[in-house]
Amino acid sequence: MTRLGNDRALSLAETVLHTDGADAVEIVITTSDSALTRYADSRIHQNTARDDGDARIRVVVDGARIGVVATNDLSVESLRAAAAAAVESARVTPPDPTYAGLAQPAPYPDAGHYDPGTAECSPAERADRVARMLRELPSGVLGSGAVETGASELIVANSNGVRGYSLTTRANTVILASGDDSTGYAEDTSSRFGDIDVERLARRAAAKVELGRNPRDVPPGDYAVVLEPAATATLVEFMCYIAFNGKEIAEDRSPLSGRIGEQVCDPRVTIVDDALSDVLPGVPFDFEGVAKRRLPLIDKGVATGVVHDLATAHAAGAEPTGHGLPAPNPEGGFPLHPVMDAGDTSYDDLVAGMSRGLIVTRFHYTNIVNPMDTSITGMTRDGTFLVEDGKVVGGVRNMRFTQSILEALSSLEAIGAERETSSELFFGAAHTPAVRLSRFAFTSSTSF
Amino acid sequence: MELAELAELARDEAQRHGVEYADARAVQEDSESIDVRDDTVQGVGRATSRGVGVRVLAGGSWGFAATSDADEGQVRRAVERAVDIARASATVQRERVTLDDSPPPSGTYTTPHERDPFDVPLAEKVDHLLAAAAAGREAAGVSYVEATADAWRRRTAFRSTEGGWFDQTVLQVGGGMRALAIKAGDVQRRSYPNSFRGQYTGGGWEDVVALDLAGNALATATEAVALLDAPDLPAGQRTLILESSQLALQVHESVGHATELDRILGMERAYAGTSFVEVADRGHLQYGSPLVTITADATTQGAMGTFGYDDDGVAAGETTLIQDGLLVGFLTNRESAGAIGERSNGTARADSWSTIPLIRMNNVSLQPREGDLESIVADTDDGILLLTNKSWSIDDRRVNFQFACEAAYEIRGGQRGQLYKNPTYAGRTTDFWGSCDAVGGRDDWRVWGIPNCGKGQPGQVARVAHGAATGRFRGVTTGVGA
Repeated sequence: MTRLGNDRALSLAETVLHTDGADAVEIVITTSDSALTRYADSRIHQNTARDDGDARIRVVVDGARIGVVATNDLSVESLRAAAAAAVESARVTPPDPTYAGLAQPAPYPDAGHYDPGTAECSPAERADRVARMLRELPSGVLGSGAVETGASELIVANSNGVRGYSLTTRANTVILASGDDSTGYAEDTSSRFGDIDVERLARRAAAKVELGRNPRDVPPGDYAVVLEPAATATLVEFMCYIAFNGKEIAEDRSPLSGRIGEQVCDPRVTIVDDALSDVLPGVPFDFEGVAKRRLPLIDKGVATGVVHDLATAHAAGAEPTGHGLPAPNPEGGFPLHPVMDAGDTSYDDLVAGMSRGLIVTRFHYTNIVNPMDTSITGMTRDGTFLVEDGKVVGGVRNMRFTQSILEALSSLEAIGAERETSSELFFGAAHTPAVRLSRFAFTSSTSF
Repeated sequence: MELAELAELARDEAQRHGVEYADARAVQEDSESIDVRDDTVQGVGRATSRGVGVRVLAGGSWGFAATSDADEGQVRRAVERAVDIARASATVQRERVTLDDSPPPSGTYTTPHERDPFDVPLAEKVDHLLAAAAAGREAAGVSYVEATADAWRRRTAFRSTEGGWFDQTVLQVGGGMRALAIKAGDVQRRSYPNSFRGQYTGGGWEDVVALDLAGNALATATEAVALLDAPDLPAGQRTLILESSQLALQVHESVGHATELDRILGMERAYAGTSFVEVADRGHLQYGSPLVTITADATTQGAMGTFGYDDDGVAAGETTLIQDGLLVGFLTNRESAGAIGERSNGTARADSWSTIPLIRMNNVSLQPREGDLESIVADTDDGILLLTNKSWSIDDRRVNFQFACEAAYEIRGGQRGQLYKNPTYAGRTTDFWGSCDAVGGRDDWRVWGIPNCGKGQPGQVARVAHGAATGRFRGVTTGVGA
């Protein structure tokens, strides 16, 4: 899909905003042109590019009958046909009592970045980055991972006069280094491909391979831990998924139902949802055209954030927070740009402050055990180390944790001064520091 | 441009570039989802996605590009892009990709069905779901009752430089209901016939009707309310009975993914992970007890993982992965089979025109033995029966797993007793399958559709299925809590 640009995109959107038979119309258009070079065992084995678009049209008839039709054919004829089909669908759909109207026009903040070098990155450049990482690995260590670049547009327009256009780029690089009996991982994400130091990532992953050789078994149980930023991100991402949804809070289905305003974890923990930040940039508005804003979720350990789209905000008598998702969306909104405040402790001091404990590089395949007590389970992977008397004594075989997030964040001892952006398997990305916790429950182990 | 024309244009253009191999898939997928809650329609969404993807082998390496733009010039540009990408891949190569010698496909396939779900009036589908929600609302104390229906219709035109072609229409549907009970900081749910939006099949709207959501809603909702006053499942080592939908997911996580040859060969190492299984284990690894026979069959009638041809162009077939407990096979595609000197068993599938085919489960099924849920319960003196999946987690080599279910019953003296909430169980793959001492028979066996299997980068979501009956396992860790 050729990039539309602001004028053409909004002109395309206009073609459906006055569809016959509709009281109100909203159109969300996305385009993306992305490429991903994937490598395993030190060779590029999958290498792909795609350009696509999507137009999602929501119409309202008879006050609150809703129809939604989407198409990836962005011709005027196709959009008009989709809008007419949405009207037909709405006419036979019972009125939705939760419908709260479409968004009203409002100024949008600045958010996101566009970098031509990232948007136009060639397959040869991506392959070169892979080769440069592989050159950093010592003999006998193989590299696997991905180098991804892309540009995307988001356009939201509605019959109330909302007109939003955003153009952003994203680059992500992952390396997993594999030795005989240990692995190491490093990752970085940026709006600018050129900002990612791939050699540094490779050296870091390789160092974990070396440190983790000849892993030992340690028994399951409660341990002090240093969670590196990617592992902290898992806790933060799952907390965002479980806890802050306005609909679930209102229906007593969230662990924070009735607890907004309460101290829920250590007072040094502050997590905000911030699509406007430079560290985890998003877009200036949500999929309903509501402006994004910085929203504290946990402020100095106090639960503060309730995330709303238009419908859940209306039901709660609150203002929408800019968390609307593509229609139809009966679930409400979720924080998609979590950023956790850094502390002032160096990584070395985080480790040095642990008399006996584990360092976790990242978690794998985490999932919810019981959302109401924020308990989740998952596995460590790609660099888990035993610390005794403040010093790393070697790698350990991977462990399963089963742990309440809020209990973990209540056992906080220190927060790292540096932060990183990490992706979680089921979610997007989070920007988080390393943390040291006094107690983290490992409930079983595995064979490697 | 028709799908076949689009695929032929891309294939012919690739051929002009002198590549070693190319295939083009032009795909149009229509989808629909309907959500109701109590007496309200929460969402009706329909979508269409159409485009063409072209995959080329040049210089011994892969390149792939896809476009949603059917303009001839854009298709030509996509092919050029795929060739450029393959040339770049070849600069970081250790050995050339070798495809197997599968015969090129030629044929058509359409999922057998009675009523195409996209031809069923929307009002009829909405009314069906509202009736289920209303029936569930009759349960005293229930907080919310939700019902859902989903449908996909995917048309594919495949053309390859080997002369292979197929035109295929796959229809898949799903439907389900769930009841939520909420009290004093506790949220419990029960789902019918399965969690995560219900049961999925390959077929038409008649499959959703056959689920009888309304007829089962009251009992489902009543059990959700009962869970509020049930105790948590205590921790211990217990005899475990899994009903078939949970055992299907156990097959998925601890056998299906573990026997994917691309994972075994390391191709998914940095993302979803690898496998504890090695190529050399075939014919040697005792994966489970003699009761455990697991097959992969893309021809299973009416199942979500059923098709005529995979996206490598290999005709659907059946293969055995585990025979009487012994590992005997892998899930393969043309590339991975070629790497070990064999022929693909046809499990390559892409989730869209814009993604490459990966090894994906089709209908990976635990074969039935004898008995059923009730007879296995009656034959169990002291155990726990777990019902309906709630969550899953497994390590990156598919060894250590932990599952949570919606409900559990104590089994004492062959009878169901105490109801428990928040049940979990955990184990290691071969230990667990090795402890299997009962699998239900054909009448107890059902193929469960799983519509949300994630794999690959960019991320793909496959719709797969697993046949399973009730299973019993000895000495399993239960009640792992936070």
